[in-house]
Order: sequence, then structure tokens, then C-alpha cells
Amino acid sequence: MLEIDNLNTTIGDTEILKGLSLSVNAGEVHAIMGPNGSGKSTLSQVIAGHDDYIVTSGSVYYNGKNLLELAPEERAREGVFLGFQYPVEIPGVNNAYLLKAAINAKRRHKGLNEVDAFEFLQLAREKMEALDMDPSFLNRGVNEGFSGGEKKRNEIFQMTMLEPHLAILDETDSGLDIDALQAVAKGINAMRNPKRAIVVITHYQRLLDYVEPDFVHVLSEGRIVRSGDKTLARQLEEKGYDWIRGMADA
Amino acid sequence: MTAISHQLLETAVNRIPEDALTPARKVALAQFSKLGFPTIRDENWKYTNLSRAIELSNTWLKNGKTSSLETKLTATTEQAIKEITESVDAHWIVIANGNATCSTLSVAKSLKSCGVDITKLSNDGMNTAIIADDHMTSFNVALLQDGLRVKVNPSTKISKPLGFIFIDEARCNGLSQARLIIDVEADAKISIIEAHVSVGSTAQFANTVIQLRIADNACVDFVRIQERADGHIHVGKLITDLQRGTSFNYVNFDFGGSLIRNDVFINIMAPDASVNLHGLYLATANQHIDNHTQIEHSVGPSQSREEYRGILNDSSRCVFNGKVIVHKGADGTDAEQSNHNLLLSEKAEIDTKPELEIYADDVKCAHGATVGQLDQSALFYLCSRGLDREEAVQFLTRAFAARILATVPIATIRSYVDQTMSRHLDTLVNSDTQ
Repeated sequence: MLEIDNLNTTIGDTEILKGLSLSVNAGEVHAIMGPNGSGKSTLSQVIAGHDDYIVTSGSVYYNGKNLLELAPEERAREGVFLGFQYPVEIPGVNNAYLLKAAINAKRRHKGLNEVDAFEFLQLAREKMEALDMDPSFLNRGVNEGFSGGEKKRNEIFQMTMLEPHLAILDETDSGLDIDALQAVAKGINAMRNPKRAIVVITHYQRLLDYVEPDFVHVLSEGRIVRSGDKTLARQLEEKGYDWIRGMADA
Repeated sequence: MTAISHQLLETAVNRIPEDALTPARKVALAQFSKLGFPTIRDENWKYTNLSRAIELSNTWLKNGKTSSLETKLTATTEQAIKEITESVDAHWIVIANGNATCSTLSVAKSLKSCGVDITKLSNDGMNTAIIADDHMTSFNVALLQDGLRVKVNPSTKISKPLGFIFIDEARCNGLSQARLIIDVEADAKISIIEAHVSVGSTAQFANTVIQLRIADNACVDFVRIQERADGHIHVGKLITDLQRGTSFNYVNFDFGGSLIRNDVFINIMAPDASVNLHGLYLATANQHIDNHTQIEHSVGPSQSREEYRGILNDSSRCVFNGKVIVHKGADGTDAEQSNHNLLLSEKAEIDTKPELEIYADDVKCAHGATVGQLDQSALFYLCSRGLDREEAVQFLTRAFAARILATVPIATIRSYVDQTMSRHLDTLVNSDTQ
């Protein structure tokens, strides 16, 4: 589904990703772990299409399409979803309004009719309940005045509504208390299916206790220095990131 | 600099048939002959050049026509009027080419039983002075064919708004003066709509003055919506006096026109008055929209809240000059003022100047202005959810403008303003030439 080959990117004059390669298949859950500044967020932003990041070489293919040639909105309509590390507050733009527009943009892209307002509302209420969210959130401004945990839940809520093929979740677990973490994990697990791939980017192993990954990759200094199964995450937790610092140089 | 032809002006003034307004016209003419049109050397007009308005005035003075109560409007004018009268439920009075039209008579008749007297200025007793104390108000009186006096009797409460539609027809050659004097007596409660619309896009210059007096404990909700065609110049002035315990909620929307200048003067003359003043201007292409407001707290305690917002694109230029003056002894004044602007183009320009003059001791005042661009991280966030850039820009500009829309105090006009705003926002966002 996602084929990243020897990706190099810069922001301003700084090189961030230095020859990153990653292959993700449908039905798989991948965890990408790494210390601060290793390029985790850059990777997610590049996949979503943020134009502050310049791809200097390498390629990203998604379902056989050159992802780097698509605008951010085209990527979203093709089924790519990014759960932001820092979801943006947009006062005055209603949550429900944004979600409906997003769903309709995707449906139009697929040649489908716009979503029925009643069905939309019913579905939204169901998904919110599953995530333990207050339905009044729907009528508030996007992330406006939300706590850190509420913002992350809202990202997961958007994901469950948009039903992407490929979900990249950028540090969705950071800043969450245990209840919120479990709710978020429940939301992610409910999304697992043979047609969907999920990439969980995280600093800590904590979330992986609830969302069991098929593969774990360690990112350091702009490239993946080690890949393995879920036991790699445990090893990292025990030995700390100093353990992998040596690997990048090797 | 283009100048007005004073000889032609005098001839035009003398041509107006003699009536109760004649002495006022003569005084105003003498006053205007001294003052002339404002120039960009006048501090209050430094950003707004009226040359084009003067040219249009001269053309009209040479061969201009006027219309009167008996003039029948053209079918296209009637159609343009219907756009708003059929959407917004109000007692509508049409002021065409500066003059009240014949439909006014029947509206006046039905309003009389509700406690509102509407009379022509040309045959009433002049119990309120017609203000002609500066360039444009004296020009207005000198050439005023007629105006309306609206008297809202004490304790009158009407829920349906009183609406005034201002429209100018091409056959009258492009210059109009309109004047309304509205007296709201004690304990009355009324909503007023001032709508400026257009038929055709011939260049026109409309000069409107509204005098509003609000007596003790009366409440006035006021919405002004201006959606004139390209090529229209509009200079408008609202002069408001507030007495004890009054409440005045004013919202202004400027969507159209090529050169727009609004002056809003509010004088709080007695304690316990409350003022809410809001405005939204949307400008694109070469539009020029200038808002000057002045709130005078002559006595305290009293409260004023003011917020104007603007969205500018392309080569448009807007001006905001908001003055709050707290006079000596006006203790207990609580005033807040702000102006926020969103610039979507590098060529757009906003000159904003919130001013606070305080001569009293015990006051609470705040003011501020911001000028910014669209939040790029919010744009990316919206696009990452599948919205195209244009739609995302619309979302963000709409959210910015919605703050003012939410302050509309007259429920029956809210959805009309909303629709008109959305239409103009669409045009504005899509006119991005960058």
C-alpha cells in the first residue's frame, strides 16, 4: 500500500530525512518509534503533503500512485489520513461542518452522492459515544478550547468518520491520561481490518500495550535503523534511546 | 484637484421649488460654498479621495434630473427592490434617487396606528434642526429635494422592523441626497434596517445622512447593509444622540460599491446608555471602503463595545478610524474597541487607527487592532481532511466574518445578511489574482 524508497527531505536548510525506506501493506499496523528530532513528525507531514518540507530525492508510492505529485486534499480523498500531533484550533469553523465537508469531498471524488444530513448525524453520534466524547463537541469550533486529550480524541473521531485506507497517527498518545489513552486505543483497534493500514508514530511504548503492532521500526537521525516485531518496542523501553544512537552511526 | 462648480450648484439649489426646506438649503449652500468637498489634506479624509464624486456631481449639476414622490419606478428597479423585500419581513420604505416613493404613503398610513408618524421634511414644522455642520452634510442639505421625518411615539413597541431601501436609477444621472430624521421617544423599542441596493451599474454618487435621536429608556436595533454595484460611490453619515438608559445596537455590513465612506457619530449625552457597534467590510478588486466612527462618552456611567472586521483581497483598500472620546467627568465609562483585518493579497491595504481620548479619571477602556493573513497551519489542516484550498479559504474567511454576523440584533434579516455575505465572500475568495 505504502512504498517509501530512499526518501530525503529538508526544511529550510536542515536535512531531516536521510534515505528513509519503509514498506507498509494493507492489514498491517506499524509502529515507528524514535527519539525527539529523529524525523518522526517530518515523515508524517511529508506523507500528508505539507509544503514546508522539500523532498530532495527518493519516492513515496501509495497504492501504485506517486503520492508526492498529489495535493494534500487529493491525498486525503484517496484515503490517506494524518492524525496531527498538534491538532490546529480553528475558531468559528464548526466540527460537524468540517467533517461533513470532508466526507462529501471524499464522496464526490469517488463519484458518490453527498451524505444525508440525518445519517451523518446518527453516525457521528455513534462514533462519538464509542470514544466517550460529549456529542456537544460536534457543534463547537474545530478543537476550539479543547484540552490536549480532547483534541487527540477528536483526531481519532475524525479518522473513524473518514474511514481512511492509510492512517498515520502522529504521537496521538502524547499528553493523554490513562482513560483517554484507552479510549484512543479502542478507536484505533476498531479501525483495524485487512484492507486498512495504520502507522502509529510514538515516542513511548505505552500505546503499544493497547494497540499491538505487527511491525516496529526505530527511526534515528532521519532513517530507519532497526525493524522488528512488537518485542523491539519492549527492548527500546528497557534500554532507552541511547541504545539505538550507536546504530545510526554504524 | 477636481473642484465642484459653485455657479452650477447655486443654480441647481435655486431651481428647487420653494418649500419649508428653502431656508435650510440657503444656509447649507452658504456653508458648503466656504467648505467645499473635503480633500486628502483634511485629516479625516486623508485616505479617501472624492475626485470621482465631484466629477459625478458636476455632471449632474449640468443636466441632472430628480425624482419625487410621484415618480414611478422602472420595472427593473422594482425587481431589484423585491430581492430584499421578499426575503426580509419589514415595513419597507423605498428611497429612490434620494426621495421617498409613493409606496411610502401607504406604509406611513399603516404605521400610524402602530405609533409611528412619518412625514415629509418639506412640509413639517422643523422641530429638529437639520444638521449641516460639515462638508458633506451641508452639500446634502443644499441639494436636498426632500427627506423623511420618522417619529416613534413614546412607549411604542413594534416587533417588525422599519426598513429603508436606498436605490438610485440611471435615468437620474448619478447624484442623490437623502436625509432621514428619526426620533425615538421615551421607552420605545424599534428595529431599523438601512439597505443600499443597486439597479444597473452606471456610476452614481449617493450622499446619505441619518439623524437619530433616542430618548430615555428607548431601545434601537439597527442594521445597515450596503450591496451597491461596482462604480457606485456612497458617502453616508449617521448621527446619533443617546439619552438616559438607552440601548443602541448597530451593525454595519459593506459588501459592494467602488468607494464607500461611512461616518458614524454617537453621542452618549446621559448616564446608563449602552452602545454596541459592529461592522464587517469585504473588499476586493479596486474597492475602497472607509469607516470612521466616533463614540463620545459625555457623561458616565455608560458602556460602549465596538468591533469592526474586514477581509480584503486583490488591490482593495480599507480604512478604519475609530475614535472613543471620554469627556471630563464621564466617570464610570466602560469602553472597548477593536478592529481586525484579514489580508488575502499582498496588494491589499488597510489603514487602521483606533483612537482613545480620555479626560475622565474613573474609566475602563481598551482598544486594539490586528492585521493578518490566513493561518497557514489551519489551511493545511483543512486540506489534509480533503477540502480543496478554495473551500478551506472559504471556511476560514467565513469563520472570521461570522463573529460580526452573530451580532445582528434583528432576527428577520440575519439569514438575508448571511446569504449576501456568503455570495460576496465567494466572489472575494475567487478573485485572488496572486
